[in-house]
This record gives sequence, C-alpha cells and structure tokens, in this order.
Amino acid sequence: MTGDADSARANFERFARGEPIAVDVGEIERELGALWQAASHAGGGQTGAVSRAALWNLVIPARGREELATTKALVDAIAPAVPVRAIMLCLDDAAGSGELAATIESNVVSQPGGGRVVYSEEITLVGPTGAEAHFGAMVRALQVPGVRTATLWMDAAMPSTLLTRELLPVTRRLIVDTGTCAGPLHLQDLERLAARMRPRPVADLAWLRLASFRLLFAGLFDPPVGGGPLRSATRLAVRHRGGGEVSALLIVAWLGELLGWRPLRSVGTSDGGLRLDFDRPDGGSLEAFVIPSAGACDQSALLSIELASGSDEYVVSREAIDRARLQLPIAPARVVKLDAYSDADICVAALGPRGRDPLFARCLEYAGRLWALQPASIDPR
Amino acid sequence: MEKISVPSSALPNPLREGLVEERIPEPATMVIFGASGDLARRKLLPALYSLTRDRLLPARFAVLGFGRHAQDDDAFREEMRRGCDEFARRRPVDAPLWAAFARNLFYQQGAYDDPAAFQRLKVRLEEIERTLGLPGNRVFYLSTPPSAFAPVIRSLGQADLAPKPAPGKPFARVIIEKPFGVDLETARALNRQVHEILDERQIYRIDHYLGKETVQNLLVFRFANGIFEPLWNNHFVDHVQITGSETVGVEGRGGYFEQAGSMRDMVQNHLLQVLSLAAMEPPVAFEADEVRDEKLKVLKALRHIPESEFEHQVVRAQYAAGSIAGRAVPGYRAEPAVNPQSTTETYVALKLFIDSWRWAGVPFYLRSGKRLPKRVTEIAIHFKEAPHLLFGQKKGQAIRPNVLSIRIQPDEGIALNFGSKMPGPAMEIAPVSMEFRYGSSFGFEPPEAYERLLLDCLLGDGTLFTRGDEVEASWSWVSRIHQHWAAETAAGKTTLPAYAAGSWGPEEADRMLAADGRAWRLP
Repeated sequence: MTGDADSARANFERFARGEPIAVDVGEIERELGALWQAASHAGGGQTGAVSRAALWNLVIPARGREELATTKALVDAIAPAVPVRAIMLCLDDAAGSGELAATIESNVVSQPGGGRVVYSEEITLVGPTGAEAHFGAMVRALQVPGVRTATLWMDAAMPSTLLTRELLPVTRRLIVDTGTCAGPLHLQDLERLAARMRPRPVADLAWLRLASFRLLFAGLFDPPVGGGPLRSATRLAVRHRGGGEVSALLIVAWLGELLGWRPLRSVGTSDGGLRLDFDRPDGGSLEAFVIPSAGACDQSALLSIELASGSDEYVVSREAIDRARLQLPIAPARVVKLDAYSDADICVAALGPRGRDPLFARCLEYAGRLWALQPASIDPR
Repeated sequence: MEKISVPSSALPNPLREGLVEERIPEPATMVIFGASGDLARRKLLPALYSLTRDRLLPARFAVLGFGRHAQDDDAFREEMRRGCDEFARRRPVDAPLWAAFARNLFYQQGAYDDPAAFQRLKVRLEEIERTLGLPGNRVFYLSTPPSAFAPVIRSLGQADLAPKPAPGKPFARVIIEKPFGVDLETARALNRQVHEILDERQIYRIDHYLGKETVQNLLVFRFANGIFEPLWNNHFVDHVQITGSETVGVEGRGGYFEQAGSMRDMVQNHLLQVLSLAAMEPPVAFEADEVRDEKLKVLKALRHIPESEFEHQVVRAQYAAGSIAGRAVPGYRAEPAVNPQSTTETYVALKLFIDSWRWAGVPFYLRSGKRLPKRVTEIAIHFKEAPHLLFGQKKGQAIRPNVLSIRIQPDEGIALNFGSKMPGPAMEIAPVSMEFRYGSSFGFEPPEAYERLLLDCLLGDGTLFTRGDEVEASWSWVSRIHQHWAAETAAGKTTLPAYAAGSWGPEEADRMLAADGRAWRLP
C-alpha cells in the first residue's frame, strides 16, 4: 500500500468516525466518493451495484447540538423515500475551535427484494454565531450539480439573513412549518417571504398535515350533495388544540379563498378564540369561529371542521388521533381512518408534487389578511 | 331571459380545486361481475383496499360483488379480507381501516344472462346508493369468462343500468378484461355487441401491462426528455427486442391456454401494446384519444408477414419437461387439461416491421414464452454501432453497441449500456451500465397496475385503456398468423419445436436472429 493510500485510508476512517475536519470542499467530495466505493465493495469484496442517488440537495439550518440531532434523525428518516444530499448548517457557539468544521455520513438502505440500495449523503457544517455568513458559499460549492435545492427552514429563530441573503438565491423550493410559528403574526412574515420566492414554490409542513382533513371535508360536498350548501353556508366552526391557531386560520382561509368570502371583521371571544365575519358572494353573511378545544390530536392540531347551511350540518371531527367521523345530512355518520403522518412523511410530501401547491400561496395570503383584521389587544402568543 | 334553476346537487364541488394532485374520484359504486373468482380476490379487492389505504378513493365508495356462487355479504367480506391479507400491496391490513372498508362491501348472487337477476341487482344498487348517500356513479367490472362479456353488457342495457353519458348525470362505465375476442371476427362482433349498448367513452378494455409505471414512464422518457427522441428512429436504432417471459406454466388453466396459446395470451394484447407505445409518434396531447390515435397508427402500420417469409419471421414452440428454479417441471403436453397431442404454442418469436418513415428497415423482434428461466418483460433498443471504430479492433475485443433497456417487470427501471475505457495504461474498453430503478431512485415500489387502472377508470381517464379500433388492428395482424398456422395444420405440416423448460426457447428462435447477424439479449 502506498503512502497516499495510507493517508486516504486514515482520512476515510476519520470521516467514518464522524470526526470534524477543516472544511475543504474538494476533500469532502473525495471522501464522499470513498464512502460510496466502500459501500459498493461491502460484503467481503463482493461487488454490489450501489446507486448514488440524489433527487434533491436539501439544506437544513439548525441551532445547537440538540436541534442538529433532531434534524439528523429527520434526514435519516427521509432518506429511504427520497434520496437527498443533505447539507446541514449548524450554528453552535459551544462547538469548540471557533472555526467552521465538517462531518460527513451516508445512508445505505437495502431495498425490498435484496441487493438494491439507496445511497444518501449528509454533510454537516458546524460553526459559531457569525458563521452563517459563510454558509451560502459552502452550500453553493457542495450542491450536487443539476439537482434542485430545497431549504427546510424549521426554526423561525434562526438569523433571517442566512435565509434571505445566503440561501434563497440557491433555493428552488422553500419548506417551512407554520405549525411551529410562534403565532399567526409570522403568517405575514411568511407571506412576504413567499412573495420573494415567487414563482418558486413555498411548501408548508403544517398545510400538508391538514391535507387529510381537507380531503375528508371536501369529500362531503361530492355528488350528490354538490357545492350548494357551501354557497349558502351561514356558520363555520374550526376547533383546534391549543397552539394550533395558525392551522385553524389556514382552514378558514382555504374555505374563504375557494368560496369567495370577503372578510369584514374579527372579534376575540371569551374562550380565547376568534370570531370572523364574512360576506358571501351571494350577498349573505357568515360567521366563522376559531375555537381552542381539548382533545387527542396529532401535530396538525386540528380537531374539527363544522359547517352549517340552513338546518343542515356538515362535519368532520376527530374521534381519536387516527379516526375521524364524517357527518352529512344524506348519509349515516361514518368513522374513517385518519392517518397520522410523521414529520419525515410530511417532508417527503413537501419535496414531491404536493410541495408546489399554488393554493397554499393564495391561502397564506388570505390568512395573513384575516390576521390583519385582528384587534391589537389580542396577543396570540 | 328565462332563468334556469340549477339544483344544488348539480353544482360542482369548489373544494376539489387544489386537490387535483390527489386525483380522487367522485363517490361511486363498483360492481364486480365474477366476484367469486380469482381475479377479484387476488387483484381487484387488494387494489381497491390499497387505494383506500392511500386515501385515493372517496370516503363514500361501495363495492357490490356479483357472481354465480351463492354467499352472503359477510362471507364475501371474509373472502376478500383473506385476499387482501395475502395480496394487497399495503400489508398488513389495517384492522380499523378494513372494518370501515368492509362495511361497504356487498354481494349479490345471479346469472349473467338472467334479466331478473339484473333487475334485482338494480334494486340492490339503488338501495346501497340511497343508504350510503352515493350519487349513482357506477363502474361495472367484467371479471368473467369472455363468453359472458356480451350477455352481461346486454343485461346491463336491458336493466337500464348503463345509460349513455350525459352532462350532469351520474356516470356508468364498463371495464372489460382480456381477451377481447379470439380473432378479428370475434373481436369485431364483440365490439358491435358492446356498442349497441355503450358509447365507446364508457368502455375501458383493460390490459394491466399499461398500468405499469415503466410503461407510462416510456412516454415520459421519450417525450419529456429532449435527448432520446432524436435517436428514436432508423438512423440510429439497429433493431428492437421486446421480451415477455414467464417462468410459470399453465398453472391449472390448461383448458384456457389450449384455446389461447402465447400468441393470443401475450402477443396480441400485452406485447403489441408495449410495441405501439415504444414505436408511436409523439401525440399532440397526453389525452386518451390523442395517445390512442398514435398507437393505432403503429398497429395499422405493422407489415403483414408474407407467406414466403413465415419460416424466417415466425417461430412457435412448446415447452418440454425441464427444470425451473431447481424444481423438475413437466412438459406442456403432460399438464392437466392439455391435449397430449396439443399443437398449441407456449412460445412465440416474431420478426416484424413497421412500415413508417421512422422505422423503415428496423426489425422488431418479439418473443414470449412460458417456462422460461426468468420472469421479465422488457424493451431493448439496440443502437447502431459508431460509424467509425477507433477502438476495439484488437482480436477478441469487440465493442458492444449501446443498448437502452426498459424494464417493465420486475425491478421496473431503465438502463443504458455503453463502452467505457477501463482504468490503466492500455486502451481496454468494457461495457458498463447506467441504471435507473424506481425502487432505488424514488425509494418506494410503484403501485400495482390494477390500482392505477381502476383509479383512472373512476376518474374517467381512458389513456391507459385499449380502444376498440386498436383491438381490431392488433387482431387483424395476429389473425393472419393464426390463419397460416391453421393452414399448416390442415396440410399436416405443423412445425412445433420443443424447448426444455428453463431454457430461453428453441434453437429456431436463436437462428432467426443469427440469420440477421444478431442475437437475443439475455434480459
């Protein structure tokens, strides 16, 4: 074995142990190649074809070791469904040397039937506060060429300049989570961000978590019911678990946007909720209530959507974390399964076609307008 | 101007906007004729369950099984549960979800040609629809013996269960399993009978090969990527091989296969459909009729094999005893329900030409057989060699032409073989493969073909179904071969070589390609 080979082996072992190194983009690429080669020759020298697949460059900023560990676990869970090159950017003042350091890891996943594997790569860059100024250049250098880049912006407390100055220019899809917003005020910040991103899509994990509920509710108005009761709706109640106000507002916005309701005013209610008044396109009026309630719930935080049209009621209500009850006048009530999606499932959906839902942008804008009606005396936080 | 009052039920559902990606059809009832048969248990109900599991069916959806076998709803549900336990893509079956799904499964006994049974069916359907708040949308799945297709459709018409499409009215669609006729005459006759009752837009002739992800990807691959289509013609393509091989024998269906043979069972439908997708011109839109128009042109452009060329372009054979996966298997003539002197082909290899500007002079080699070593369906596009060979002229060192192989089953995906210089000082060239596999690149196995096709029918999308004129065009080409074989038999000149089970077919098939300086690819 030559000296170069020894050195390469030592580097490989160092990388394999996850030890930090001084950041050298060329070396990162070489060592990722070595990991790929090692995986291909795994199993006693038996050569097995290993796909080195990447459908996305996925950039994920995090703060501190704890958040980084959560992020890594999320990437590990995403990898089997969507191969990505994950570039994790961690700001950590306790990191030690004060310099930017990198580690690499790989995910090799056996496929059903044996033999087939997916190979995803994770590059973690860690640096102290202020290092965010260097992250943009590092991301640009480490992107797999020709592969789209998505940024998963989960922590609203990260320095916003990292996103707006460094990452947005290279981001083809921005993924956020309004479910973790500190409050509806962030909806307007997010709407401004979405405007900067256009025509590139913004995907919202909270919006995607609402998909099952929206589907079930929409299904109530399939034939033979049709859209008639929606046009003449007089009352809407959206119940959410504490902290789920943003999700509830998005549901009201979804219905308001599609049904052409004109928001008039909003009033705080004694139970800590909201009452929103609307004009309908046919000249009628409608009251909508956003009501904090108790009950078992998944991360969507949504408990029920109840719509009244004349004396008829159309309701989707959560009976348990994984069950919902459908109620409409023409058929007996029916309990159906409600999927509780993991964060990884939702992230995978955000990277797929559902992550470029143009309706979300419209509903986000509408929800921002709803919040702008809010009396200043009410602090949602 | 007089105002027209639109009943609220006729208003579209505005909440469906933005849920397009979900492709969820309107509430409906699916009636399965032949519900006590194998297809319902192994494929149809597992597909419907998996669609439900994936939230691709509406919450209001019912299945009414119809069959000659007497059983009640609960027995039907139990049988279908066992089918889902064994065959559903989404396993294990989720108990609460199954409970909700099974509540809307029903069964009705009856004969396919009994008008009274269809009146009872109508009453039952209306009762189910009333109880479950269903709008009267209906899909009738004919999972019956082919002899029942016409009687069932006639009975549907007599009972007014399948009215022609009209705006604002519930839909009635009919899915017809293969085989659609056994030759050109019977296919034409069946088309006539079906069209007496149904509009062509209501008819969904199913060929489950078209529901496979790679078959659909073939269109994307060709027409959504700029680099392949310019090569997809006789300037660059040397020849095309399409293989549909099975390891299984007749599997207890000897009676059926004796009448069908490989030509009817595989070539007339699956392989010619795959061929037409591989060879067609770009459609003006990805719409059902536009795609099917282009497929039809290919089928009509298939050159009929002249009598003088039969022995050079058609090989049929029958499997003899041999070994599959380390297990001794009997020859075809020793299979149950098979005539010991049978002349039915279990293997067929064809060399055919498409008379079009694009494909002039390019042979398409098709082969299909039972008891071959491997179950595989693939299209392999063999490109011409580079016009001037700079490398590989040393003795024993040949450069293989590029091959693009499109694997339809199993391991759906696409691979491109090309020559690459081996590392080192010498100019050694080795073939390497660049592979795309659905399972690896997208991290999940594609849905079952039946799931896709059932969903498409519920959505009213006929793109992946075969139109009546396509069926007739393919039978028109295939029936000439059958006529030739019939004449051979009548003259006592049947040539039917045997091949050992577990081999890749008879030597005659190898010789057919060798005569052109080519060889079958090992898939």
